[in-house]
Amino acid sequence: MDLARLVELGKIDKNTPHPPALIGQDGVLELTQLAIKKEIKAQIILNEGLMPGMHAIGEKLSRGEVFITDMLIAARAMNVALGQLKPFFLSGEIQAKGTIVLGTVKGDLHDIGKNLVKMIMEGDGWEVKDLGTDVSEEQFVEAVNNSTDAIVGISALLTTTMLHMGSAVQRLRENNPNTKIYIGGAPVSQSFCEEIGADGYFSNPHGLARELRKAPKLLI
Amino acid sequence: MLTHEQLYGNKANPNFEELLRVIKGQIPSKPVLFEFALNDRLLGILSGEARENNTSRIAPFRRLIRAFTNAGYDFTTISAWRTNTLHFVKGDLAEKESRSLNSGNMISDRESFEAYPWPDPELGDYDIYYDLREELPDGMQLIASGNGGLLENVIDLVGFEDLSMMTLLDQALTTEIFDAVGSRLLRFYEIVAPIETVGACIVNDDWGFKNQTMFSPDMLRRWVFPWHRKIVAAIHKSGKKAILHSCGQLKDVMDEVIDDMKYDAKHSFEDQITPIEEAYKLWGKRISIMGGIDMDFLARSTPEAITNRSKLMLEQGLLHGGYALGSGNSIPEYIPDKNYFAMISAINS
Repeated sequence: MDLARLVELGKIDKNTPHPPALIGQDGVLELTQLAIKKEIKAQIILNEGLMPGMHAIGEKLSRGEVFITDMLIAARAMNVALGQLKPFFLSGEIQAKGTIVLGTVKGDLHDIGKNLVKMIMEGDGWEVKDLGTDVSEEQFVEAVNNSTDAIVGISALLTTTMLHMGSAVQRLRENNPNTKIYIGGAPVSQSFCEEIGADGYFSNPHGLARELRKAPKLLI
Repeated sequence: MLTHEQLYGNKANPNFEELLRVIKGQIPSKPVLFEFALNDRLLGILSGEARENNTSRIAPFRRLIRAFTNAGYDFTTISAWRTNTLHFVKGDLAEKESRSLNSGNMISDRESFEAYPWPDPELGDYDIYYDLREELPDGMQLIASGNGGLLENVIDLVGFEDLSMMTLLDQALTTEIFDAVGSRLLRFYEIVAPIETVGACIVNDDWGFKNQTMFSPDMLRRWVFPWHRKIVAAIHKSGKKAILHSCGQLKDVMDEVIDDMKYDAKHSFEDQITPIEEAYKLWGKRISIMGGIDMDFLARSTPEAITNRSKLMLEQGLLHGGYALGSGNSIPEYIPDKNYFAMISAINS
């Protein structure tokens, strides 16, 4: 079985009892180690071996064909592989597609949606700066000041906390008018996105990665 | 205190039979209101007691009942967290306006599962449900609910992402945790449902996110639904009705809610998932539909728009039966009071 399929299935390593049909078989860890041993270029392992698996599970999640549990275990498998590739990131042999600053808005501690976006973006080759939850406008601004090319993703769970998105967008705009800002979360809608002047809204965690793949120049 | 007379121009005359008609899918003889919970500010306005009075064990419940009575409800909801009858000890659940589903987890493996201080529902003080008989106005009954639901409590104990992993990597332990919580919740409902002051039960257990159920329907069928089936059967055995309060996208499992678990009514609806008007058309002939005026709509619309939408839903309910007017979830502090009153004022018309 190929690496991408193992990522998609969440077969972390040989000892992982999931999926039941692959018990005892090599997983993402072993295949990634093998690919490195065979001196396959790290960027190729990432782009052609691992990322297609995350793309596949993300697409299936957005179509409702799989569930968050499936995404979480796929992301865990991906993380194990990324751990093996870390030296190549550090040496510069692998280049991230870009940087995204992520955070749940002020007053809001909900993190499931944000974490899903983080996993998907990492799996899509992005460097993610996760500011966590209850993130103030100042924290977003500071993070963008430290990564001026970064795009920003802001999440909210509640109707009340969603309203903080507007001031965060405003502060970010004042600070760096060219920063692209995307929003998501249960109460958020396209009309709210337009109302607060964000650059985009995605109703599922895979939406941003998909759009960036389709038209990276347009969106970044 | 804002009295029923000031709100509606007549004295409060609660009649739980009217709510029962709605829950049975029938047409009530008057417009019926339903709400799971009112925020403390509203409880203060409607009861005349700005703050909860803890001078006696009855006093907070008296305030609650007075508020529900003045607002025009035929019942008062009473949660196990208020009665302190069943409580699963949680870890440090940091809270702001929301909280993380990944925080506070106390169970991560078999050792922590076995060390967990599991509560004994038999030891709860259920006397309060009996003692409130003297406090309830004629015609009013209590609607009892648990202290969180099965899936909610298991998520709190394990953490959502860790539980997700556990469902795939340690299914035996997953089963034991669900059974440990489910059996205790079942016992709680077996005890409270037969109490004469309790007219119906809310089984509160959020199952969905915005786009889909939190776990696959197969997982819910394996670990969650069997306990709900037993809880509803226990409530029905006492001759009481069972209302499911469950948030999120549940379209894939609604048939099972109705036909398999046999809930009598469903509460919690969101415009971004299934607007109440659509939910009533989709399922209203098979299960009673409670509330549904969307929280965001309630928070951000004008009172006029809220009253108009509420009136239209009430009209549907009075034409076809099986509908009680209320919010999509509850009335937290962030819903402006004037918007809440705009919603309930629809019954005046």
